[in-house]
Amino acid sequence: MLEILIHGAVSSAIYAMLAVGFTLIFGVARILNLAHGSFYALGAYGAYFFTAHLKLPLFPAALLAMALVALFGIFVERVLVRPMRSSQLAVLMITLAVALVVEQALFLTFGSEYRNVPAFVDAKFSIGGVDVGGQRLLALGASVTLIALLWLFIQRTRLGSAILAVSQDPEAANYMGIPSDRIFTIVMGLSAALAAAAGVLAGPFLTVQPTMWLLPIVKAFAIVIVGGLGSIPGSILAALMLGYAETIVGYLISSSWTEIVSVLATLLMLVFRPAGIFGKRAAF
Amino acid sequence: MNKFSSLFCAVCFAAGLAAAPAMAQTKPIRIGVPTAMQVQVGRDTQDAIKMAIDDINAKGGVLGRKLEMVVADETENPETGISAIKKLTADEKVDVLIGGYTSGVTLAQLPHISAAKTIYLGVGAASPSITAKVKQDYDNYKYIFRVGPIHAGHQARQVTGFISGFVKGELGFSKIAIVGESAKWVQDLVPLLKKGATDAGADVRLTEFFDTQTSDFSPLLAKVKDSGAQYLVVILSHASSDIFAKQWHDARFPIPYGGIDVKSMDGDFCNRVGGKAVGEMAANFAVRAPLTAKTIPFWDEFVKRTKREPVYTAYGANDSVYIYAEAVRRANSTDPNAVIKELEKTSYVGIPGVIEFDEMHDVKAGGKGPNFLFVQWQDQCARQVVYPKPQRTAEYITPAWIKK
Repeated sequence: MLEILIHGAVSSAIYAMLAVGFTLIFGVARILNLAHGSFYALGAYGAYFFTAHLKLPLFPAALLAMALVALFGIFVERVLVRPMRSSQLAVLMITLAVALVVEQALFLTFGSEYRNVPAFVDAKFSIGGVDVGGQRLLALGASVTLIALLWLFIQRTRLGSAILAVSQDPEAANYMGIPSDRIFTIVMGLSAALAAAAGVLAGPFLTVQPTMWLLPIVKAFAIVIVGGLGSIPGSILAALMLGYAETIVGYLISSSWTEIVSVLATLLMLVFRPAGIFGKRAAF
Repeated sequence: MNKFSSLFCAVCFAAGLAAAPAMAQTKPIRIGVPTAMQVQVGRDTQDAIKMAIDDINAKGGVLGRKLEMVVADETENPETGISAIKKLTADEKVDVLIGGYTSGVTLAQLPHISAAKTIYLGVGAASPSITAKVKQDYDNYKYIFRVGPIHAGHQARQVTGFISGFVKGELGFSKIAIVGESAKWVQDLVPLLKKGATDAGADVRLTEFFDTQTSDFSPLLAKVKDSGAQYLVVILSHASSDIFAKQWHDARFPIPYGGIDVKSMDGDFCNRVGGKAVGEMAANFAVRAPLTAKTIPFWDEFVKRTKREPVYTAYGANDSVYIYAEAVRRANSTDPNAVIKELEKTSYVGIPGVIEFDEMHDVKAGGKGPNFLFVQWQDQCARQVVYPKPQRTAEYITPAWIKK
């Protein structure tokens, strides 16, 4: 029982970190960013490159990777997405193209083999008799902290209020003197940095290879559909539900059934409540 | 035209006619290589073939003809695999095909290889269904041979031998758990393995499958621990090997593991997972051990040329070129029917063992033939052969956190 509680929490935390960024940029800029998984992959590869090739210590390497991915996110938003933002379909296509280009670039640069991102913590911890890798516990803690900081930033700062205002009504916010384009850029950078953080934190115990972007984007998609596109509390709740549902299925039924959980949850939610748990309206 | 010039023209014409076959004779023998170029298995296939070609050409070629290689990417997708065969046989008009990796791709290619009447020496795929076709329909599928690896049925038997001879016999563990990814070949192999292990007196406490996309092995490992198993036998082929090793190590899982782990056959697997595979045992064909007089010299030459350690396809691919070249020399022709007759008589001391073909044109396993070696990742990510005993290069080590 305790095992399910701990391992479910770790899975949920990684999912939440991925989904919150994904839903944030949708909620604010109405951008369905299929390149979100690429930010996750680039975060992990960045940490690998800076530690293995440039021999940087892990912590600066991780921060540098996150910063560069944030800049890349900003570049994607300003140069590629912004001219097409009026058409959701065009945005979907361009972000998918970015994801595929990143995959091929990683493939050409680093090859198809998986790479090793060093762990911040290599010790094992026993909690109530359950053995958990230190890196997993760190990922859980870091994820909770980062999401809490993001929440505080949005709720308590001036810039956060501007983000909220733009997410509620971009036109009205514009009339109030809030530069919505700049807000979109900031949010894209934040969202990319969060995904990169997930990559840096999960890389040591998950896979790091060029196609690693795909599964996270599928999970993030499932979570935001269940939670309601654009709703951060919805994403967190859905990440918890999905993380725990997968862990419970893995423990009580079989690990070969875990991957169907997210797909099934998405399907049921789209059929019975297209707006998701906290969504105000159907996204599609 | 006077008489002299007419005679001169006639002589020139006759000389031209005589030269045509001589020209054909000096045309290179073309080796088509359909393989998955993006993975190490495919890169090693090409490099090993190139090594053999360079060696044979340096010694004057075969029947006075040089060898040359044409590569086509078959990826891991059956449709691309079929296109690769068509390109090599119809456009490039190769004399022989050497390659293959994924069984599904090779199975899809078979009718096209047969239609092109081109000899195919497989070096990558393990499904028994591939060579079963030779027995079912010899006239159409006689072109198909497998030089390596030994097929999945033989593999299951050899893993059973590892369980009875090593896990039970030497480590003294009789309670085992078997876990494998949800893939066709694994689902075929696991029941055979379970039956073999039970017959050998092992107590199989758990058999479990997991999705190839699984990223969290905690539930699976918890079940293995709860089952009371003392040794964990794994059957892994695709993406999950690295995550499995990392999570096994990170949780300091108290049960050692080993079995068939295709990614762990790569020379740098252990380093790629940050050394977390130390302690794992993985079945392999390609190791630097004196299996035959050719093994270590080939290994060292391959490492010198490519700066990486070879995987199993390198052994099969390099041997295939020599086996084909010898068959062509004996047949004194590249005519497929004549060469097939000679290939069937092959008894070639290759890199992993003696290569001989059975009635299905499949490489014979066991005895002096190629066999699985159970190799353990040890300190500093060094690979050591631990089983079978005659090939042992180091004693088994228990992972540091497991009580002996």
